[in-house]
Amino acid sequence: MQLITLATKSMFNRKASVLLTLFTIAISVMLLLTIERVRQEAKSSFSNTVSGTDLIVGARSGDIQLLLSSVFRIGHANNSVSWDSYQDIKAQRGVNWAIPISLGDSHKGHAVLGTDSTYFAHFRYGKKQPLAFAAGRAFVNAQEVVLGSEVAQTMHYQLGQQIVISHGMGNTSFHHHDENPMTIVGILAPTGTPVDKTVHVPLAAIEAMHNQPKSAPRMIGKPKLSAEQDDAHEHNHSHDHGHADEHKHNDSHDHDHADEHDHGHDKPDTIAVAVPAPADLHGDLIGEPKQITAFLMGLDSPLYTLQIRRNINHYKAEPLLAIMPGVTLRELWRMLGLVEKILLLFSGVVVLISLLGMLTTLLATLNQRRRELAILRSVGARPRHIFTLMSSEAILITAAGCALGIALFYALIALAQGTLQSQFGISLSISLLSHYELMLIGVIMAAGTLMGILPATRAYFYSLSDGMSIKL
Amino acid sequence: MLEINDLIFRWPGQTDATLNIPKLEVAPGERVFLHGPSGSGKSTLLGLLSGVNKPESGCIRLLDSDLAQLSDAARDKFRADHIGTIFQNFNLLPYLSPVENVMLGCHFSRSRSERIKASGKTLIQQAEQLLQELGLDTSIMARSVAQLSIGQQQRVAAARAFIGQPELIIADEPTSALDADNRNAFIELLFKEASQYGATILFVSHDSSLAAMFDKHLSLTDINEVAQCS
Repeated sequence: MQLITLATKSMFNRKASVLLTLFTIAISVMLLLTIERVRQEAKSSFSNTVSGTDLIVGARSGDIQLLLSSVFRIGHANNSVSWDSYQDIKAQRGVNWAIPISLGDSHKGHAVLGTDSTYFAHFRYGKKQPLAFAAGRAFVNAQEVVLGSEVAQTMHYQLGQQIVISHGMGNTSFHHHDENPMTIVGILAPTGTPVDKTVHVPLAAIEAMHNQPKSAPRMIGKPKLSAEQDDAHEHNHSHDHGHADEHKHNDSHDHDHADEHDHGHDKPDTIAVAVPAPADLHGDLIGEPKQITAFLMGLDSPLYTLQIRRNINHYKAEPLLAIMPGVTLRELWRMLGLVEKILLLFSGVVVLISLLGMLTTLLATLNQRRRELAILRSVGARPRHIFTLMSSEAILITAAGCALGIALFYALIALAQGTLQSQFGISLSISLLSHYELMLIGVIMAAGTLMGILPATRAYFYSLSDGMSIKL
Repeated sequence: MLEINDLIFRWPGQTDATLNIPKLEVAPGERVFLHGPSGSGKSTLLGLLSGVNKPESGCIRLLDSDLAQLSDAARDKFRADHIGTIFQNFNLLPYLSPVENVMLGCHFSRSRSERIKASGKTLIQQAEQLLQELGLDTSIMARSVAQLSIGQQQRVAAARAFIGQPELIIADEPTSALDADNRNAFIELLFKEASQYGATILFVSHDSSLAAMFDKHLSLTDINEVAQCS
């Protein structure tokens, strides 16, 4: 019988305390690995969110607020950029491209982004990767919509279906623009960024939806309105969400009784129709917007960045703010990084406490085990055997704790994968442990082994002094 | 087999010696009864004979090795190879089966394992054979030792001492928990087992009525000059 077998049998004899210690270590290992994995994935998905954009321009607020609202669809931009300013800045020397974005509406909790065709041509994520279509194509008129991959997946939408956009953000909007059902013409390939959770529509569609009186007949692709109507429904992205004319319509297209409120909303906001043929559908994507939420800019040369940024920040026509996304992302990550470091520190402390718990258990049981050690001495075990036996117990408990912790970690990832993806946009993949994670496990194993040396040393000296006689 | 000359032992921090034995001899294969009242230094002498403790002065020659001259590690090895011990409370490990308890000694002694291998048996076969010879049937061998009766535990402890044929068997009051009939039967079993390969038995007890069963009777109060003085 090897010492390891002896140690295992001895531990099994004390299974209650050993199992408790083992579970404590396992849970702390799981916690540490999970925090580390979430941190890594969050960092990578964070930095991959936008790339190739030199400046993001919005109404003057805070750098991070602008980044959060324009890129992460978190929060709302309180003010907007006038279309004239956008046109003016876009025409400046050194500007290669500009993508207008208009936010503020939603579809079943998914952000709706109004833009034009430059979005599909110039927007980059990850390592300057362009957007790709998993199915379909980009919108070509104001009645077409392109979905992010996650929207299509979670809502089970397919090309050709029609959807209705809600006024305002969130899952429970009371104002549905159901006079404007839009046809899904494209589904983007997954990007691992907020794009996946976004419903992309032409700017003209946003304008049309908000300019449309609820009693008017469907006016898809006919955004021109009278001045009165226009004034009455002036689209401002700082929407008042307690809209006075909030109403719930079903999806019937025959709105003969359009003023009746709450028609019941049991039916989904989709209508299955045939995919429209792209030919002859080209229409105005922009319309005549008065304002947009923000715009992304690509410059001819990075050398222009600081100058153009300064110009925009001192723009006379209206107060604007231009941010460099890379810089602001790093700033934001530094802010979040502190939280992440604190979390990592806490989980490190939890691991340490669990190892100290093991040390306490081993030391506490040591006195009770002096009889066992003396018996082993009487049958020929040398003090070094006793030392090895005690050390190997600590190593076995730590190793088993780590193994169980890793198993729990994968189980947790498998369980939390969906929630993390849908709630926080962090895609956790069940992949092998990274070098860094393996190094963390190695550090825990080393710490556990070191912890085991203390009781082993005490046992060693007990075995020298006790010999074969049991002084208890 | 065993020869002690001018042995003096003092526990650390004590001014008075615990043992002072000018002369003690035991021949190979002899069955020796060592009698001594509580506190007479029996356990101390057994600690010295088994090499756990080292004498302050004098010589303990066992199987032609002077234990006093051996290092701590060498004395440990010597004990593992040449001495089998049966304790008063048997000292079996509760988490091992009877057979595993019996085999335990062989795991710390290569020479004991090699002796068994030389006889053409495996450790398990030898352990089972010893248990059977000591009157335990195979049905108890899969049980935990904690489920065995006192008598059965005692036989397991004896089998553990005999495995690998150590030259000296030290029995430290192993029969104190038994009635007279069982006590005598157990001692006869020990003799029978020891006679198979000529082991020497040093049987320590405070019960002098057992002395008649042994070849030689020693009283610690007679051989230990410290005890005589006190």
